[in-house]
Amino acid sequence: MTHRPVLLAPTAAVGADLDAWLQNGGAEGLRHALAAPERIIPALAHAGLRGMGGAGFPTHRKWSSVAGQSAGDKYVLCNGNEDEPGTFKDRHLLSASPHQVIEGALIAAVAVDANHVLLYVNPHQHEALKSTRSAIEQWRASGLLAPIERRLGLRLALDVVESSGRYIGGEETAVIATIEGGFPFPRRKPPYPAESGVHGRPTLINNVETLANVTHILRHGADWYRALGIGGACGTKLYSLSGDVLEPGLFELPMGTSLRELVFTHGGGMLGPLAFKAVFTGGPSNTLLTADDLDVALDFDAVAQRGSRLGTGAMIVISAGTSIVRKVAEYVDFFAAGSCGQCTPCKTGTYQLSRLLRRIDTGVGVQADLRALESLCALLPGSGRCGLVDGAVTVVRSSMQQFREEYEHQLIG
Amino acid sequence: MTGIDHRLALERLLASDHAAPNPIDDIEALLKAHHPDYREGSLVSLAVGANRGSECPTALAASLQSNARIEDADLAGAPVVDTEVLIIGGGGAGCAAALTAAEAGGRVILATKLRIGDSNTVMAEGGIQAAVGEDDSIQRHFEDTLRAGHGCADRRLVACLASSAPDSIRWLIDRGMRFDLAEGGAIGGKLLRKKPGGATRARILSFKDYTGLEMMRVLREAVELDERIRLWNRCPLVELLSDEAGHCVGAVLYDLALHRFVLVRASCVILATGGVGRLHLNDFPTSNHYGATADGLVLAYRIGAALRELDSFQYHPTGIAWPSFRLGGLISEAARSAGAHLLNGLGERFVDELAARDVVSAAILRECAEGRGIEREGMVGVFLDIPELERRQPGTLAQRLISLGHLARQCGIDPSREPMMVRPTLHYQNGGVVIDENGTTSVPGLYCTGELSGGIHGRNRMMGNALQEIITFGRRAGLHAARSASRHPAPKVGLFHLQGWRRQLVAAGMPLDRFGPDLFPRYANFDFGDELALRGGKRTTYAPKRARRVE
Repeated sequence: MTHRPVLLAPTAAVGADLDAWLQNGGAEGLRHALAAPERIIPALAHAGLRGMGGAGFPTHRKWSSVAGQSAGDKYVLCNGNEDEPGTFKDRHLLSASPHQVIEGALIAAVAVDANHVLLYVNPHQHEALKSTRSAIEQWRASGLLAPIERRLGLRLALDVVESSGRYIGGEETAVIATIEGGFPFPRRKPPYPAESGVHGRPTLINNVETLANVTHILRHGADWYRALGIGGACGTKLYSLSGDVLEPGLFELPMGTSLRELVFTHGGGMLGPLAFKAVFTGGPSNTLLTADDLDVALDFDAVAQRGSRLGTGAMIVISAGTSIVRKVAEYVDFFAAGSCGQCTPCKTGTYQLSRLLRRIDTGVGVQADLRALESLCALLPGSGRCGLVDGAVTVVRSSMQQFREEYEHQLIG
Repeated sequence: MTGIDHRLALERLLASDHAAPNPIDDIEALLKAHHPDYREGSLVSLAVGANRGSECPTALAASLQSNARIEDADLAGAPVVDTEVLIIGGGGAGCAAALTAAEAGGRVILATKLRIGDSNTVMAEGGIQAAVGEDDSIQRHFEDTLRAGHGCADRRLVACLASSAPDSIRWLIDRGMRFDLAEGGAIGGKLLRKKPGGATRARILSFKDYTGLEMMRVLREAVELDERIRLWNRCPLVELLSDEAGHCVGAVLYDLALHRFVLVRASCVILATGGVGRLHLNDFPTSNHYGATADGLVLAYRIGAALRELDSFQYHPTGIAWPSFRLGGLISEAARSAGAHLLNGLGERFVDELAARDVVSAAILRECAEGRGIEREGMVGVFLDIPELERRQPGTLAQRLISLGHLARQCGIDPSREPMMVRPTLHYQNGGVVIDENGTTSVPGLYCTGELSGGIHGRNRMMGNALQEIITFGRRAGLHAARSASRHPAPKVGLFHLQGWRRQLVAAGMPLDRFGPDLFPRYANFDFGDELALRGGKRTTYAPKRARRVE
């Protein structure tokens, strides 16, 4: 089927050039928002917009809880840390079309009465950082912020903050810690950022892609957005397709497109003569989809019904030529290296998972190693203050369920 | 191809007056018409890789553009070994690199396809060039090399070769290598110098007519006695390992004794795998060692290294043409420089025997193509008339051509009575992987040295520069690798470059069922178990094998 991209539309891809953005309908969403601020959150609720950063939490609920807090300093944070394997959508949006993201963040500021709007960008993504900086300068100079400031009765601080560049720095409480000037250490929730975020003030944290969608919902209306999806799903989704496909890349497809269509139509099919084996969805913190799941609709609910999560929309396709144990070991290594070390179960648990997987992978594993892996998978979840160790366990457990025979084949006794 | 019957040709040879040959009027035309490099339809354009668009021989192109033999899944359960410097190839270049890297404090693994010393180095007969004479200079060595290479060589590399050459000789002598002496006794004295073809001064240092064998004797002993070098015999290289950035971070070896893959993670990989002779470009026989199957060249190209002068090969004029079991074996240029004549089936000399190698080769091929060759049991060649030389200069065979005598006896010929039948044989790869003075390539972490690397010889190699190259650049690569090696292996090691490579193959419409590189010549019938033979395109689904218990 054909469809018109929204976030990746050529009219949006103007780079940091604000004039070009304004000529292509830019700031229209912001005008609509300023004309009727009370209608922003209901519009998002009607549009069915959900968080694109991994969790899929309904966006309007986050917004209304921040909007409901008492007046004073409030923060809107745009989370562009993006460091999980296989995900490359936010960096593209920030470098190719930062204005739709900034406009979305400003709309959020209008909706929740925030006087700080900060774009939190991974410094390893040079292009994204450069482009965002330049775009922000132009917004500040443009005079477009004046109506917002008039409404707030406060000065609006619009700025870019560099993240630590670490994976853990993308966790929302770690984002807050970084902005406060500390190490990117997550903390326990509650209190949630909506109640007590940056410097104890109410804070709204949204992913880059979510805020970009807000701009278009405000411009074209919630009904238009709902109609973009397939079936019960709303809007479009950016899929970062990589792995053993012929044409990997970033695709914007209607929410609810099937995995088969993504891989075999848009991705050009499998690379070479090797068969499809599995997909790691949404970066590593989620589970595996196998050939049985090819017809699953890629939206938050349908994927969740299969026991997996859509996450960030990253799809790492692996072929029959890929060793599951090695791939999983690589992911767990990523978590082990990314653990901030505050919680002992996470710090040592991810290390032990990695060590056991490497033993099996390099041909020295025994039955006891497999049993130890299983015990750790039962023991570790929920033991950290953030979800990092849970993510490591999920991918191990899922792979052991789906590809147990591969683990067993590699044992030597 | 047919020729004049051997018996008839022998009668004509005896009646021949050995009159001087007519000079060749148009050398360019002769080369264009008969030299294999210029043969019509023998070159194809590469469709994928760093040298897309350049031309190279068909057989080599097929290898360069082949698909990988292994998948990630084949490595499941394979042991992983960490080191700082991994050297692939047990010839002169590999050993020189290993010794230098170990001296510089690096942890070294030297892996070789067969056994250490099984290489072309041991076959080098002529000698090694170094400007050590009082009448000679480094500048002369530099200019001679550039001129011989038709000006195509990389001047930085040639300068490096010429200026390091005397030190390389000193290094070899320090390790116990013997050279022929001009004067003096067993201890002390001056090195005997000979003049190579195309040089302005006598610059070849040698040890009898088996200089390479003597060099390898010394290098092999040094490597085997060095405790810092782990030597892995019978472990061919199957694929290079890459990280996500495409850097080279190790290699996959196949242990022929245990029938399993071994992954070696290394900061630096030095390829010293030699040439391409055993691909039999243009269906030529070769003088090369059994292992010269272009495996290093293919894998370096696949991981992204740029190559140069891919269409330039040296065909040595005097390879054995009969009997078939020694086909392609090399008769040293020493025979011709001693004065042996080449004659066709009519008993005529047809070329100045001391002309450049490419000219002599083309002339022999012209004689064979135009029906003036000699045919014996289906093999066609021309005569190399040693008996006439022996009559003219008695004693030459015993004193100067010792190896030739051995070779003739292997062929069942008494060299003093019967002429040898010769025709050109594929001898040397002039080009190769683009390197700098330290052997680094365009792929970080990957070094190349020896015949595999290109740029030193341009489009034609001088005698004696190959042995000099392997020592000079082998040592430099080893030193640089050991100094830049990090003690921590790369975190994420895999076959990341293969995805991009396969995408290129698909985009260019190349077949994915041609697997490479060849580890042994196709006719070797090597038994790999089914592990490596599996990439014949039959197996498309992965059925993991039970891992073997580690010894």
